[in-house]
Amino acid sequence: MGSLSAGLNIALQSLLTEEGAIQTTSNNIANVNTPGYARQRPDLAETPPVQLGHLTFGTGVELQHVTSLRDSILDLRVNQETQQQGKLNAFLGSAQQIQALFNETSGTGLQSSLTAFFSSVSQLSANPRDLNVRQGVLSAAQNLARAFNQSSSNLVTLQRNVDLAVSQSVTQINTLVAQIAPVNAQVAAAQATGQNAGPFVDQRQQLINQLSSLVDVSTIDAGNGSLTLTTSSGAPLVVGGQSFQLTTQPDPANGLQHVFSQGVDITAKITAGQLAGQLQVRDQEIPSLQKSLDTLAAGLATAVNTQHQAGFDLNGTAGGNFFVPPPVSGAGAASSLTLAITDPNKVAASASGAVGDNANANAILALQNQAVISGQTPLNFYSNLVFKLGNDVSSAQTDQQSGGLVLKQIQNLQGGVSGVDINEEAANLIRFQNAYQASAQVSSVIDTLMQTTINLIR
Amino acid sequence: MSIRLNPNLLPDLLTAVQQSEQNMNTATEQLASGRSVNRLSDDPAAAAALVGNHNSTGQDDQFLRNVSSLQARFQVADSTLSNVVTVLTRAVAIGTEGANGTLSAADRQAVAGEVQGLTSQLLSLANTTYQGTYIFSGTAVKTQPFALNTTTNAVTYNGDANTTSVQFSNGNPISTSVPGSQLFQNASGDAFGALQNLNAALLSGNNIGAAVTQVQTALSTVSTQRVFYGNGLNQITLSENFLSQDKVNLSSQENALVGVDPAKAASDLVQAQVANQSILSATGRVLTLPTLLSFLK
Repeated sequence: MGSLSAGLNIALQSLLTEEGAIQTTSNNIANVNTPGYARQRPDLAETPPVQLGHLTFGTGVELQHVTSLRDSILDLRVNQETQQQGKLNAFLGSAQQIQALFNETSGTGLQSSLTAFFSSVSQLSANPRDLNVRQGVLSAAQNLARAFNQSSSNLVTLQRNVDLAVSQSVTQINTLVAQIAPVNAQVAAAQATGQNAGPFVDQRQQLINQLSSLVDVSTIDAGNGSLTLTTSSGAPLVVGGQSFQLTTQPDPANGLQHVFSQGVDITAKITAGQLAGQLQVRDQEIPSLQKSLDTLAAGLATAVNTQHQAGFDLNGTAGGNFFVPPPVSGAGAASSLTLAITDPNKVAASASGAVGDNANANAILALQNQAVISGQTPLNFYSNLVFKLGNDVSSAQTDQQSGGLVLKQIQNLQGGVSGVDINEEAANLIRFQNAYQASAQVSSVIDTLMQTTINLIR
Repeated sequence: MSIRLNPNLLPDLLTAVQQSEQNMNTATEQLASGRSVNRLSDDPAAAAALVGNHNSTGQDDQFLRNVSSLQARFQVADSTLSNVVTVLTRAVAIGTEGANGTLSAADRQAVAGEVQGLTSQLLSLANTTYQGTYIFSGTAVKTQPFALNTTTNAVTYNGDANTTSVQFSNGNPISTSVPGSQLFQNASGDAFGALQNLNAALLSGNNIGAAVTQVQTALSTVSTQRVFYGNGLNQITLSENFLSQDKVNLSSQENALVGVDPAKAASDLVQAQVANQSILSATGRVLTLPTLLSFLK
């Protein structure tokens, strides 16, 4: 046989349960705009029934869990795509500055100085004895040398800026890693005591996502709800509640910062995230451009010097070096390119020694069409450099755009699982409100019945 | 049951707004600069080709400057040689007059004096300078090419036999001078020698006819050599035309590489504006859509 007090208990239990459900709904609505928040669902369940004689009575409802809805595989995919985006964004940020230095589309790059130099030699060929023309050759060569110096030093400045950004990225990584470790421990603790770890997981995923934009994070499930984070090459970042900081140390050879984990240099092993993009610009793109500029400057200076020495100047003396000879290795040739002569009389235009002869000027002029730089003409070598730089930037842009679309699609899928929908919450609110009102009504009826019973006795 | 959609439409909408703004910027930039390639990454191949294009334009400009400086020099040389032809023609006329035997010894002496005058005229023509340099001394342009020994009356050549050439387009050099020795003391017709012989013949009254023939030979030699400058001037003019045409070609090539079609850029801009407005209006509408809560009382 049932009892009034049992019914009242069920109604009260129901009121508490619906209150919990309404609280969850309210929390969902409150966090509709919170980044990283995963919507929560109140899991209602029947309480165990009681057996009274041959009858089985339900004992009401309880709020078993509040579950956060998220898909850990999608979280992982978002992190992976974020790493690629981080790398490409950082690379593009600096590479676009680099390509502005070589802006040949406006005709103001190194090409104009190169052309002007050979033009001045062509003019010398037409007027080999004219001192003004000779001075023009020296000025054009001076401008060419300055253009090389400037391009080279601009690259060095950019490299230093990127180097500073590398240190800042490492600091950001360390801050995030230190924030993730305690949250990771809280997730494990909450799971161990059977609590809803969802809010901590939200916070952890949000932080890992930020970390992913900086460095190539690899996530390993440690089994108890906690995650082990390493770089993709295995350098530890977070293990349980413990965080591992990265450090930087300048390379004694060039003063650029190297990244260390636990005393091991991992600079070359960072493959994704903002840090990887910065390192790619600093350690590959810029050095490769520097090297090409050096090759061009050294090749040009050596070829011009050799030809210049084969001729005779206006005084009939054999020509000396035109440019100060570049370093034998070629390294630093662009930054150090300077003229060896300042006296226009000393330009060796004549091949025979006669003052009106221009054969050596013609020979120097012919260098512009000879394969004097690594098997290419100076101009072809330079236009290849321009093509490669433009192509690097352009393909990174394409990758960034397509990767961005992928990321957005995965984020949409993630939103489909975890995003808060106001309409859905409103519908739930009405359901829970109705249930609450009904339960309150039930308890009021039972109260009336009890009054009736008590009045029977009086 | 359909798959649950992402309830947060804002990121998608904002991306679309940004994309349409990007398109508007690109179209505006292209219209403003008149170029479809404003950065190397816009079209790396075109940017690399542009390096070659700009270089060729620069070369053409320089070749054109060379053309005008050489043109002046060739004109001076050509008109000088035209004067030389006049001098030698006059000498032939005098010689012919002296050879017909009607002149007295005193008359022949006077005529010989005129020939002597023509010799010094020829000497000064052969030593013509242009912008401070001798034009008929080969490559020894600071050395006066011809000197008259007043005692022996012999004219010696002090220049050299070298020539120079200047590039007018890649791989197309033009010779810029003929050494004076080849013009005035050519083995097949020595102008100075012929005049001196004529002078001597007129004074002596012997072999005047042979001396006149010599002068005629020298005259035809100079005329033949003068063709070099005439041809050179033609070649220069041809080069000038070629270079001007080449510059036009290069400029249209540049336009094909990086130029922008204003009509297309303008219509792109209009399209981007329309897209931008419709996306903004869609965004505005989506963001203000009523929710279920709006219908609850």
